[in-house]
Amino acid sequence: MATPLVELRDISIAFGGVKAVDHVSVDLHPGEVVGLLGHNGAGKSTLIKCLSGAYRMDSGEIRINGERVTINNPRDARAHNIETIYQTLALADNLDAASNLFLGRELTTALGFVDDDAMEAETRKIMGRLNPNFTKFAAPVSALSGGQRQSVAIARAVYFNARILIMDEPTAALGPHETQMVSELIQQLKSEGIGIFLISHDIHDVMHLCDRASVMKNGQLVGTVDVKDVTDDDLLGMIILGKQPGAA
Amino acid sequence: MAASRPAVQFNLISEFKRVTWLNRQPHAKGGTGNVWEDTIMKRRTLLGALAATTMLAGPALADGHAVTVGVSWSNFQEERWKTDEAAIKAALDAAGATYVSADAQSSSAKQLSDVESLIAQGVDALIILAQDASAISPAVQAAADEGIPVVGYDRLIDDSRAFYLTFDNVEVGRMQARAVLEAQPSGNYVMIKGSPTDPNADFLRGGQQEVLQAAVDAGAITIVGEAYTDGWLPANAQRNMEQILTAQDNNVDAVVASNDGTAGGVVAALTAQGMEGIPVSGQDGDHAALNRVAKGTQTVSVWKDARDLGKAAGEIAVALANGSEMGDVEGAQAWTSPGGTEMTAVFLAPVPVTADNLTAVTDAGWITVEALCQGVSGGPAPCN
Amino acid sequence: MSDTATTAPPARRSGFAALELDTRLLGMIGAFILICLVFNVLTDGRFLTPRNIFNLTIQTVSVAIMATGMVFVIVTRHIDLSVGSLLATCSAVMAMMQTQILPETLGLGLGHPAIWALTVLAGLLVGTVIGAFNGYLIGYLLIPSFIVTLGGLLVWRNVAWYLTDGQTIGPLDATFMTFGGINGTVGESWSWIIGIAAALAAVGAQLMARRKKAGHGFPVKPLWAEGILAALIAGGILGFVATLNAYDIPQRRLARMFAARGEEMPEGFTASYGLPGSVLILIVIAILMTLIARRTRLGRYIFATGGNPDAAELSGVNTRLLTVKVFALMGALCALSAVVASARLANHSNDIGTLDELRVIAAAVIGGTALSGGLGTIYGAILGALIMQSLQSGMAMVGVDAPFQNIVVGVVLVAAVLIDIIYRRRTGAK
Repeated sequence: MATPLVELRDISIAFGGVKAVDHVSVDLHPGEVVGLLGHNGAGKSTLIKCLSGAYRMDSGEIRINGERVTINNPRDARAHNIETIYQTLALADNLDAASNLFLGRELTTALGFVDDDAMEAETRKIMGRLNPNFTKFAAPVSALSGGQRQSVAIARAVYFNARILIMDEPTAALGPHETQMVSELIQQLKSEGIGIFLISHDIHDVMHLCDRASVMKNGQLVGTVDVKDVTDDDLLGMIILGKQPGAA
Repeated sequence: MAASRPAVQFNLISEFKRVTWLNRQPHAKGGTGNVWEDTIMKRRTLLGALAATTMLAGPALADGHAVTVGVSWSNFQEERWKTDEAAIKAALDAAGATYVSADAQSSSAKQLSDVESLIAQGVDALIILAQDASAISPAVQAAADEGIPVVGYDRLIDDSRAFYLTFDNVEVGRMQARAVLEAQPSGNYVMIKGSPTDPNADFLRGGQQEVLQAAVDAGAITIVGEAYTDGWLPANAQRNMEQILTAQDNNVDAVVASNDGTAGGVVAALTAQGMEGIPVSGQDGDHAALNRVAKGTQTVSVWKDARDLGKAAGEIAVALANGSEMGDVEGAQAWTSPGGTEMTAVFLAPVPVTADNLTAVTDAGWITVEALCQGVSGGPAPCN
Repeated sequence: MSDTATTAPPARRSGFAALELDTRLLGMIGAFILICLVFNVLTDGRFLTPRNIFNLTIQTVSVAIMATGMVFVIVTRHIDLSVGSLLATCSAVMAMMQTQILPETLGLGLGHPAIWALTVLAGLLVGTVIGAFNGYLIGYLLIPSFIVTLGGLLVWRNVAWYLTDGQTIGPLDATFMTFGGINGTVGESWSWIIGIAAALAAVGAQLMARRKKAGHGFPVKPLWAEGILAALIAGGILGFVATLNAYDIPQRRLARMFAARGEEMPEGFTASYGLPGSVLILIVIAILMTLIARRTRLGRYIFATGGNPDAAELSGVNTRLLTVKVFALMGALCALSAVVASARLANHSNDIGTLDELRVIAAAVIGGTALSGGLGTIYGAILGALIMQSLQSGMAMVGVDAPFQNIVVGVVLVAAVLIDIIYRRRTGAK
């Protein structure tokens, strides 16, 4: 097999003596969707935050395209074209869609001032693709509905040519119609060769959207399986019992 | 004055205002009201003689409108200024003039804005109790630009365009020493001074020394002890007095204390040794001190009647508003400030209150006979 | 807005709505005008004289300059209680620089033309360094800003006291004092030149913004609406200049100015003060701070951090360094305020800036800055400062007792925030 896009090797991180992530290794290939499953507190979000730069891991290494990289903060992650859609969406509620989309990567004029008009124009373009019903470009995102906010967060992740996309519970707050939009988007991004980590509670989502699934329990990796080889119940067993299917 | 108890400070920020010795609250216990007097200054008494000039000038300006006098207070929160205000108002009423005022709440910046507001209101004369002797100068400038006379009330405004009206504070020190010397012309003297950080303490001490110098030179009296009183606190004065008494084996014949608070501490120390009754001085006309005068445990409390000051200020302001020259004000004299500014000033004489003239304070309504004579039997008038 | 969440806004608005005016701003201006009118009636027309308006603007400057910085501090969910003390320390340092260190220790001699510039530089440096230090304690050592600046309130007030032994220092350098207001006005003709240039610039900027929007194909206001706005803005600027120019220099002061030059004042000669330098400084600061807030990354990050610190951090904003920058800026503005405040008093007095922290915070809050962070405007804070000063000056003029003056200001502060909350709830904003 070709070199994986992302290799997380032996990652550990502890908070005050509690091992939130304990020697976990996961790979991600281009055009692949890897689901991360587990209970609340299983360590899946923590693991992924080491990749997105929100946390600094205690030990282990991250390789991208086979090269070892250091990710100390979100800026480092962005520099490696890693984009994240957080469960909380991580939007500044008081700013409008364009300001959120370009937060930290503002477009500027020749004089170095932020170019709101240019950013709004770009935002209109990408939102036209992602969510054509979106019209409230001047309003702060606090005035938007859950789905509209989600589409702003997704637009932010895909606008900047992500190679690696992390989606933390992307459909948790969405209605059926919007969930369908997200799954279509994932299919499209996959076809563009983007690697996606999908964190979810929802086994159905994972079975539907992912190529492989890694299950975590109590900070440790239970196992990684090809979803076409397993059933819903197999995954459920891994989550609850912490055992590989067939190992029992 | 008894009314000069330090205002209760409700917040810690305002504590930081009680700082610069230039804009120090002058009537905090034992403060003499002004920093600037020096011993060269010649005293002129005045007390009421002003009225003549004022009345001649009449209450209306040339263009016929009635005189309005604006008063800018530095910190009206202090109780004592109410007395001054009433006296100023009474004097203005008598002259047919109108009173307007503003309170700077201990901020020199607000005082500048206040004066600008008063000028914008069209006042014809200003009376300013300056928060800061120098920082008030832009306000005096603005008044001068409009041709509005300024009376610096109680505290110096270091600007020749402002008239200066205050009590003669060096005289306070002289009066204290004079009264004690009269009661005890020879023997061992103790000097209980004010706060070491307060230049007033030294001005007072200078006035006291002027009077005592001859007796010291003649060998009639010996100064056996001398101590500053940190923060003018009676407790500190008492402790210092106790130590001096111990050191001198109680061979002390008179105490010159710089204000009534320290005098209270001194009398407490003396009482503990059964020595109460030897001459002790003070100032401020504190009710407790006047009661001690009636009892005979304190010789003198030098009293600065705020009503005299307020009355004089009102009369001078009206006179100046009507076009009098500063030099023509009754009792005015040329005076050089410590900063070297040539000024025109009037210095009112304080009143030494002793057992001989206690009726003065009751007649003036400063203290009730009951309060004055509490616990006194067969004392001096009016307590007999 | 939430009512219309599902419907697209109409492409064209008609009538008043087409002006797209900020209703909050209008409300504040309305409140300000109401206050002015009430005081004008109570003072028999003295409140709205050119002279009093001239005074008011000068009196507002020091607090307003700091209030613009306080907007950023509060927007990032911090508070700065030390601004009054910091002002005092900067003022003390600058007073010593210009009366002692530069003329004597360094031997420049009193009145040397470089003194004011070096002094102001030193003050700005001290303010910025102290502010940055506060920011470091808050941003990197994670001490709550309330505590850091409460400590700073004590520390810097007393550093100022220690530096000067509590003495009033003055008079200050003659050039330096021109920053105080009345001693540094630009005169009638220059006021008109500046006013006309500003009006042209404002209208020009409006046109350019319109052209740019149109270039992107965004909807723009109808031309008549732009025209009315331009007329309002230009009229406001020129009206302000005309008002200040209508205040004549008192005859005695003029006579003295002529006498100082050894000339005789011609009969019937008049001249007016024009724009005070300190007010120009405030206007420049207001424009710069508004630019920072709206048109720079720094400003964008300040508001993003205030709206959602985690989101800003996850978007790659270095929120710790941002805190240092915000407090350093606050410190620099305190120093600038110290220039204006001490120049106005012609002295450094030990009580300078006392309680200013409360006035500054109140101005920012009355101006619509939300303590919960993320919301606030520079012009709001300046209007807030102007409203506070108008209340104070107006009540002083009417002769309201000092305790009532403070009671009124306190009530207005709380009422302003209440109205703001109700307004935001009604309009659906956060």
